[in-house]
Amino acid sequence: MARIELKSLRKVFGKNIEAVKNLDFTIEEGEFVVIVGPSGCGKTTTLRMVAGFEEPTAGEIVIDGRVVNDVDPGDRGVGMVFQTHALFPHKTVAENIEFGPRMKKVPVETRKKRVREVADLVRIGHLLNKLPGQCSGGEAQRAALARTLITDPSAFLLDEPLSSLDAKLRREMRAEIDRLHEELKKTFVYVTHDQEEAMTLADRIMVMRLGVIEQVGTPMDIYNDPVSYFVADFFGSPSMNLIAGKVDNSNGAAAFTGFGIDYTLPEAYAGVSSGDYTLGVRPEHMVVGSESAAFSCDVQLVEPLGKDTLLYFEHGAERPTIAVVEASGRFKAGERLNVTFDPSRVYLFEPDGTRVR
Amino acid sequence: MNRVMKGRLFNIFRYAMLLFWSLIVAFPVFWIVSTSFKPDWEWHAWPPVYWSQEASWANYQAVWGRPESPRSAADVKTQTARYESASANKPWQALWNSLYIAITATALSVAFGAILAYGVSRYRILSEIRMFQLLVLRMIPPIVVAAPLTLYYSALHLMDTATGLVIVYFITTLPYSVWMTKSFVDEVPVELEQAAEILGASKWQAIREVIFPLIRSGLVATFLFILILTWSEYLLSLMLSKVDVVTLPVQLAKYEGSDEGRVYGHQAALAVGITLPLMIIGIFIRKHLVRGFTFGMVKR
Repeated sequence: MARIELKSLRKVFGKNIEAVKNLDFTIEEGEFVVIVGPSGCGKTTTLRMVAGFEEPTAGEIVIDGRVVNDVDPGDRGVGMVFQTHALFPHKTVAENIEFGPRMKKVPVETRKKRVREVADLVRIGHLLNKLPGQCSGGEAQRAALARTLITDPSAFLLDEPLSSLDAKLRREMRAEIDRLHEELKKTFVYVTHDQEEAMTLADRIMVMRLGVIEQVGTPMDIYNDPVSYFVADFFGSPSMNLIAGKVDNSNGAAAFTGFGIDYTLPEAYAGVSSGDYTLGVRPEHMVVGSESAAFSCDVQLVEPLGKDTLLYFEHGAERPTIAVVEASGRFKAGERLNVTFDPSRVYLFEPDGTRVR
Repeated sequence: MNRVMKGRLFNIFRYAMLLFWSLIVAFPVFWIVSTSFKPDWEWHAWPPVYWSQEASWANYQAVWGRPESPRSAADVKTQTARYESASANKPWQALWNSLYIAITATALSVAFGAILAYGVSRYRILSEIRMFQLLVLRMIPPIVVAAPLTLYYSALHLMDTATGLVIVYFITTLPYSVWMTKSFVDEVPVELEQAAEILGASKWQAIREVIFPLIRSGLVATFLFILILTWSEYLLSLMLSKVDVVTLPVQLAKYEGSDEGRVYGHQAALAVGITLPLMIIGIFIRKHLVRGFTFGMVKR
């Protein structure tokens, strides 16, 4: 098990492309940390610095109290699973799995036994004599996991391991990785741009943006208490309704107006000053068909998803406003409805993206 | 006319063109093989004899079967005797010269080329412009290089030596080796090497276990490509050798000049002999060639 500390970590590519800016973060022993963010946010660079494939421009990487900046990737005691699975195409699955122990001169007998064990652990015992090219995407990724497992690393680094798989396989493998973490109780650092993977897998999520940490927290913290427009928009599917408008706080009660919406803000925002803001409400916190109305609008589209139904309202905002309601067949496209918001779940963001609290 | 008919007609036309082109390409080859079996009066005959009724191995015997000079050292006094003694075993001598020079130079070229290519591909030890300049070197007409080289070679006592030719072939083919092998190394995803390293392999182990097996076909293809270049090189060989180190292409030309006269039959027999080794090698390594020349080795 490993505790990984990143101290004032910085990485500059070329002359002035700053991929990671002054990162401070500690990953606790046995923790499952997901680093998430859009492409180019520095998440993969961070992981590659932990693995030892990129040299930090400044700062320290400490694994279990040992500064590893100058330690070769193979000697850091970490294992890595790559996005492209990176199995050796000319070696069979068994030879691939055996590679690590063979490099470390583990006796043949022990090696063979261990290959069996880890192959069974990820359920690819029947594939051992196949070449990676003959395996499906999911099987190849399992083999890549097995190849890492056999070296018994103290921490697993996973770089978008599921992004090349289709949706169904992705869910399956996600559950598999979750199970492995449960069983092994090792430190996992997982990089993804998929918010759903982050939400389902993580003990803690680290949201990165433009080379800095935007927010760190448990999945529920991040979902319920986003620190910024960026985090609010990034997490949740369908994503949060974000409507640009104005707040007028001149007559005692703060009111938000914009794109047909006229909404008296809850008590919490009583102290907010007048000006431009963005209102944020998650689709599941929309109240449809209510007496009072923040706005009234025709339902443009009804999208039944089975358990839930999505209602799309087109009232001039940048994106259609979406509400999640229980599937009932109660609402029809073209129907005019009153819509308001759950007052305890209304977010307000400054023009620069920070959240008003 | 419907689409199916059109497609069929187009196919017929396409194969007709291909057949026509292959005949144009194959005819000289056929002519050489045919001539190599003709008796001397048919070499210049008009109308031409396509396939001799009196085919024999006589030309081959004359070229490849000439016995070791039986003369004793005492006889080798006159100019003529010395000449004949030297000429007696010429084709075989030229074959050994060519084999030694071509294989040594090619091996050096591919080995150094691969090392350089790895460096360029992974560590950018040469910038794009340098890599291009490397190719530009090959655009210089060889004669421009050959003339000054004769001067240097005389001064360095490399004239008419196998080492001299190995050096010049090694250097002139190196750009090809670098360019070809680089494309093969580029094909191997860098993650494969990194995966090997994080699993505990040293840099050298990663290269030996992962890179080398994946570019082996490419190396074989490069080797054969360079071998063909050096095997058939004429100009530099002609200018940098005199009598001791005559390579096959130079020897081949001698059958048309004042050395031996216009002995087309002998020339053809020698030409067939020159081409055969390459064809045999090609057949043995064709699996690698197909994979190497198609550049699609790594399944992702």
